[in-house]
Amino acid sequence: MNKLKVGVVFGSRSTEHDVSIVTAIASIIKPLQLSGEYEPVPIYIDKSGRWYSDPKLKDISLYSSGQISDFLARQKPIQLSLGGGLKIIKPGLKPKAIKLDVVFPATHGTHGEDGELMGLFELADVPYVGCDMPSSVLAMDKALAKIVTSSQNIPTPEFVWFYAADFAADTQAVVKRVAKLHYPLFVKPVHLGSSIGITKVSQKKDLINAIEVAAHYDNKVIVEEAVANLIEVTVPIIGNDKPVAAYVEQPLLNGDDVFDFDTKYMRGGKGKGSKQTGAQGYSTIPANIDRDLYHRSEQLALDVYAELGCTGIARIDLLIDAKTKSVYFNEVNPLPGSLYAHNWRKAGKSGVQLVSELVELALARHEQNRHKTTVFDTNYLKQY
Amino acid sequence: MKLIVDGLAVNFELIGKGKCVVLLHGWGDNLSTFSALMSSLRQRYTLIALDLPGFGSTQPPKQIWDLDNYADFLADFLLKLGVKRPYAVIGHSNGGALAVRALATGKIKADKLILIAASGIRDKKGAKRLAVKTVAKIGKATTLWLPTAKRQQLRRKLYGTIGSDLLAVPGLEETFKRTVRQDLQADAAKLDLPVLLIFASNDPAIPLSDGQRYHELIKHSYFEVLDANDHFIHQDQPDKTKDLIEGFL
Repeated sequence: MNKLKVGVVFGSRSTEHDVSIVTAIASIIKPLQLSGEYEPVPIYIDKSGRWYSDPKLKDISLYSSGQISDFLARQKPIQLSLGGGLKIIKPGLKPKAIKLDVVFPATHGTHGEDGELMGLFELADVPYVGCDMPSSVLAMDKALAKIVTSSQNIPTPEFVWFYAADFAADTQAVVKRVAKLHYPLFVKPVHLGSSIGITKVSQKKDLINAIEVAAHYDNKVIVEEAVANLIEVTVPIIGNDKPVAAYVEQPLLNGDDVFDFDTKYMRGGKGKGSKQTGAQGYSTIPANIDRDLYHRSEQLALDVYAELGCTGIARIDLLIDAKTKSVYFNEVNPLPGSLYAHNWRKAGKSGVQLVSELVELALARHEQNRHKTTVFDTNYLKQY
Repeated sequence: MKLIVDGLAVNFELIGKGKCVVLLHGWGDNLSTFSALMSSLRQRYTLIALDLPGFGSTQPPKQIWDLDNYADFLADFLLKLGVKRPYAVIGHSNGGALAVRALATGKIKADKLILIAASGIRDKKGAKRLAVKTVAKIGKATTLWLPTAKRQQLRRKLYGTIGSDLLAVPGLEETFKRTVRQDLQADAAKLDLPVLLIFASNDPAIPLSDGQRYHELIKHSYFEVLDANDHFIHQDQPDKTKDLIEGFL
């Protein structure tokens, strides 16, 4: 039996480039290989946006040793063919074309997770894992996600958003708009993940500096009220029409109530001397909250997933006021780092089962969409 | 914490209560070099430590910089934080050289200065400088045939054996060359504030004679020598360094 060829796309022009490499190799390519049913094809997009494919790109040591730039210097970037599915073409005297049966995007942040890649896969008419283009665009814009979900009465902290260009043109007008919010505030770039460019602001005098930081990274900025007595939880979900949640998980916060890049990816486990690295061992699974709060959190996450039209996989971050027991929607990650495989493992789904299920969900969605009418014959052109 | 200064995202820490003390790390280092020192000084002082451009989590400069560019940046950074005149500046190694240049040119002002194993005394006939130049020439010629990563590895090794920071930070080699060309003896002579000099007896990177030279040049200077073989005195002997600093402040 021929194995399904799964193109795993990772890297790209993103502040989360390196995190993506780990997600792709450790949490997707390895389990796909172990399943015995799939043939993963690594497709690496470097920091300047060139696409490469070679079996050696599956080896993490190529990146960790710093040899990747020398390796790529000896490689030719691949070409893409979009007609009737997606083919990657390795140039040479005898160009080699590989037709991909499914694509598994493993990019985080800009130029990938934000919907750009999904648009390409839609055009190529190839099945792909995870959220589709519209839901990825919504999920990766923190302001849009809040506007859509709050229109469906899903609670979220009060917020104001604006373009970085408007802030540069009239700083005081933006400060005036923010004045309706109650401190402390969080200032964030709307599109970035891994908590990059986020500042907690306790006093008005620090607001402008914090907005400058967010605007340094993004063209849109969101300012939102901080939730008091904070418990942050996150809920990994998979599925198309009938999504299911893994455990509600409680991440470790740093001293500023921020689950930041260092906490998430650099410190590893909670305790001193922990041998765990990366996005593991920094949280409590299941979250240490009472049963009612747990179930309300899980349901709110599933509601957000449905309202934003997520399919395949996503992770919903929520904020809880421990005193008032109110649960608020915070943000969505359409492609969670390392797929949150550690949580799914605890919930009884192995890494192999997780990636296999995600590929099946991609095929099912593609099959479902295939039956939609997108073209039909008309007499329109005959009048010309 | 982050702040945008001169178009660069700057990582810094602001902790403690009391008079303001600014801490400047050396070449290839970052603000965490002062962790032990900061944990004790924070009881009595407001401490501002930053990753200088190109180091730690601060973005690198967009052009090639010299010490004056770094001094301008430091002045802008402090201005943005609303610090008109810090009570004291502590500089280690190249951070010390930066402090000397910034204070001597009036780009920043402070009441006291502490230089820990500070660089800035550039003796053109120095054996080490000659060795760096020789290795640079030999290194370039003998490694040209190697792939880029291997060439860098080998050159890094060559420079490492003679204790040079030239290739400590990829991308900042030209900035490093410009920085180490600046001799600060005339600047040191201009300093008119109390200066505490802490140097190691056997520092492999900065000779004790540089500390002595600073002591001769700076009118109100106090020269302390710690019995140590390490360039990072504040990490090697944190308690003694802290005691000296607290006594001086």
